[in-house]
Amino acid sequence: MTTPEMGLPMVYLVDDEEVVRQGIAWLLRSRRLLSEGFDSGEAFEAALEQHTAAAASTTSAEDWPRAPSCLVLDLRMGGMSGLALFERVIARGLVETLPVIFLTGHGDVPTAVAAVKRGAFDFVEKPFSNNALVDRVEQALANSAAALLKRRELSAQQRRLEQLSKREREVMELVATGMSNKAMAETLQVSVRTIEVHRASVYEKLGVQSAVELLNTLNSLNSPRS
Amino acid sequence: MNRPPPGAPAPASPPIAPVREDRPRWFLWVALVVLLVAVQALLLGLTLHYRSSKAQEEVEARVLASAEELRKMLGADLRRVLNLPGSDEPPQLWRERAQRLLIERPELARIERRDTNFAVTRVLDTPTRSPLFVRIPRAEAQLETELACRAAERRSEPTYSRSFFVPHSDGGGIEVIDLCIAERIGEGLTGYVVATFGLPGLLDQLSASAPPPGLDLAMLEPDGTMLAHGPQRSGAGVFRASRLIDLPGTAIQLQLNSPATQPSLVPDLVTTMVIGLSLTLFGVVVLLARDVRRRARAESELAESLAFRKAMEDSLVTGLRARDRQARTTYVNPAFCAMVGFDANELLSSAQPPYWPAELASEYQRRQEERLASGAQTRDAFETTFVRKSGERFPAMVFESALRDASGAHAGWMSAIVDLSAQRRVEEVARQQQDRLQATARLATIGEMASLLSHELNQPLSAIAAYATGTLNVMDSHTPGVPLDAELWGSLHVAARQIAQQSERAGRVIKSVHDFVRRRESAREAVAVTELAEAILPLVRLQARKSDTAIEFDIDPSLRKVVCDRAMVEQVLLNLTRNGIQAMQGMPRSSGRRVLVLKARASTSQWVLLSVVDTGPGVDDEVARQLFTPFFTTRTEGMGLGLSVCRTIVEQHGGALDFENVRDATGAVCGVEFRFTLPAERTGPSAARAAIDGKSPAIVDGS
Repeated sequence: MTTPEMGLPMVYLVDDEEVVRQGIAWLLRSRRLLSEGFDSGEAFEAALEQHTAAAASTTSAEDWPRAPSCLVLDLRMGGMSGLALFERVIARGLVETLPVIFLTGHGDVPTAVAAVKRGAFDFVEKPFSNNALVDRVEQALANSAAALLKRRELSAQQRRLEQLSKREREVMELVATGMSNKAMAETLQVSVRTIEVHRASVYEKLGVQSAVELLNTLNSLNSPRS
Repeated sequence: MNRPPPGAPAPASPPIAPVREDRPRWFLWVALVVLLVAVQALLLGLTLHYRSSKAQEEVEARVLASAEELRKMLGADLRRVLNLPGSDEPPQLWRERAQRLLIERPELARIERRDTNFAVTRVLDTPTRSPLFVRIPRAEAQLETELACRAAERRSEPTYSRSFFVPHSDGGGIEVIDLCIAERIGEGLTGYVVATFGLPGLLDQLSASAPPPGLDLAMLEPDGTMLAHGPQRSGAGVFRASRLIDLPGTAIQLQLNSPATQPSLVPDLVTTMVIGLSLTLFGVVVLLARDVRRRARAESELAESLAFRKAMEDSLVTGLRARDRQARTTYVNPAFCAMVGFDANELLSSAQPPYWPAELASEYQRRQEERLASGAQTRDAFETTFVRKSGERFPAMVFESALRDASGAHAGWMSAIVDLSAQRRVEEVARQQQDRLQATARLATIGEMASLLSHELNQPLSAIAAYATGTLNVMDSHTPGVPLDAELWGSLHVAARQIAQQSERAGRVIKSVHDFVRRRESAREAVAVTELAEAILPLVRLQARKSDTAIEFDIDPSLRKVVCDRAMVEQVLLNLTRNGIQAMQGMPRSSGRRVLVLKARASTSQWVLLSVVDTGPGVDDEVARQLFTPFFTTRTEGMGLGLSVCRTIVEQHGGALDFENVRDATGAVCGVEFRFTLPAERTGPSAARAAIDGKSPAIVDGS
């Protein structure tokens, strides 16, 4: 699942108890997964801030995380609770690329279920016995990888869209409304032929074959912003 | 009255005079009245009879006197007649003398002289009346006279004839008697002198001369035939008396008829007095009857109140016992008999109380002697053990005070005895219930902590599971036969050690819960405050760590031990610390350090003040009002039993639990202090007791 251009998947562990962090780290390591531990929500948020800032400062357009990532979060902690930290993750729009798995005690299950409804990947009840936690972490990492791929796809499309000339954008927008070439020519007051040339150019630049494909691409680009 | 005289053996239940039936009493009263009426009637009868006989006697006496007077009068007349000149005297002289006699003696109607042949020689009629023999000649009315003269001649003494009637020309007539005197000279009869007495004239003379004058007199034949009546007719016919007057030759009955009538009731002094006395007597009887009725009423009221007191005594649950100065039992009430199972006679007759347990008798004897020696001032209450007839021992409370007789002298002791066995049973049940409640409260505390505890257990278990699973993963992926590199070996070693450590940690959590929940024997003992604090420390730390709270102890090392039920007080401390920690958890972290201080100070010489101070938001007024109400809670998972149980426990120890908001220099609330007092251990045997009996002191203001 690791792709060379994405880098090694990383599991972030937030639990206020060191021994639990170490235990889970050891468990993940035994399944050849890298992990990084944080003893509180505040500590993780500080690291997150740092990563985001570092990603923004580089010339590369891609946001953090660039590698498949997963956050294993203890629901109940001193200081900032797991739930509060989860809200921050949602606020940063990282819920897709950084899936959150909650660790819960027996009494916290309703809270965890509510969190899952708000977009958390899953929750695992403590004490977890076998490799179930690692399995869920791997699935989360896979989801993260998928999300990263999708994000890259979208940013590539975005870049292609930016390569269109002014007239080509106008034609593309009219195509998206389902207007015929003749009608477009009348609207833009150019010849039908010119429209056809621009249209072919738009199709080529965006890598689509038909008006339907063009519409889908535009929709997928617009949806994150809407 | 309801108390038997001390010194004399008294029955267990003093006999009460039975309330008499009404009938005999009523009967007695009727009998008394009847008797009184009879006596009064008899008395009146006797009085009347006495007065009658008195009148009769008077009449009798009068008639006697009159008879005597008559006899005297006749005697005098006889002598005057005898003194008349005889036949040898000149007739002129006789005539003169006879004339004078007839004038002087009006009762004499006629004087005759007769010769031996009974022929009249001289005669003189009374000048005061019409002559006697007008209607009939003398010769026809001299039969009786002749008989008298013959008798006079024969007996040689003046003789009276029987009375005979001489009719008058006017149709009436008078009864007369003749006095015939035979005149003799020597042995030879010379003639007769005949004097005729008119009976009415005699009576006239008699009633004029005999005292008192004016008596109603009459003359009768001895057979009762009326001869003559006196001038007075005043006789009432009720009281009469007659006297037979024997005259030579005849007899005449003189009758007196008293003017007095039958004695009547009213006007007489004696009768008045008798009636007055009778009325007075009746009055007295009525007063007496009223008095008796009042007494009867008082008596019945007394009997009623006596019966009420008796019923009260009998229905008393408290046993009563009176003893004299020699410590002999003189009185016991039924409750006491029922309590010890002996009957009253057994209790009163035995020298040593049979309800003294044999093994304690000598001690009781000594105690009793002390009391005897101490005299009348004794007034105390003590707890003791008595034995029932069945042999069962039971605790009893005895309240004893000196008994004084009516004159105020010390007569013995009165004791009230209360059987404490039922109370003891109730106390035992209450204590067990209290214990159960405490155990329940402890369980509830743990229940409220369940979430925390499960987290606390989950942490080591999670670590253990992670290490174990990881280790297994490593082992599964390892090819057998290939030696482990040093780093991996080291990791495996660390993992195994962590598993061991975390298991131990989980075990400790479970042990601390178990220690707390385990039902301990509830007993007051002297415990150092530090010991109490250390006992709850694991559970407190457990909570404090999650919320990053610092626990501080501020305990005076020279503090005396407190006398308390350890398990209970531990629970109070745990509840208060938990409340403090949870209160601070709700605060934003930025508002300052979270510190929980457990303080202990000597409050007074007898009390130790413990307090739990947090730096939380304090208690607002709304919450403060309901804080100690059971089932009031501000937390979703709380049961609301904590503080109410705490207060109960502290009050059971005689202490008081309250709280106060702590304010900082600016006056803002910066926490709350819960504090309570516990009795301090005392040096001396009565320490524990004093601690239990002591009043809760006011909590010293610590702020």
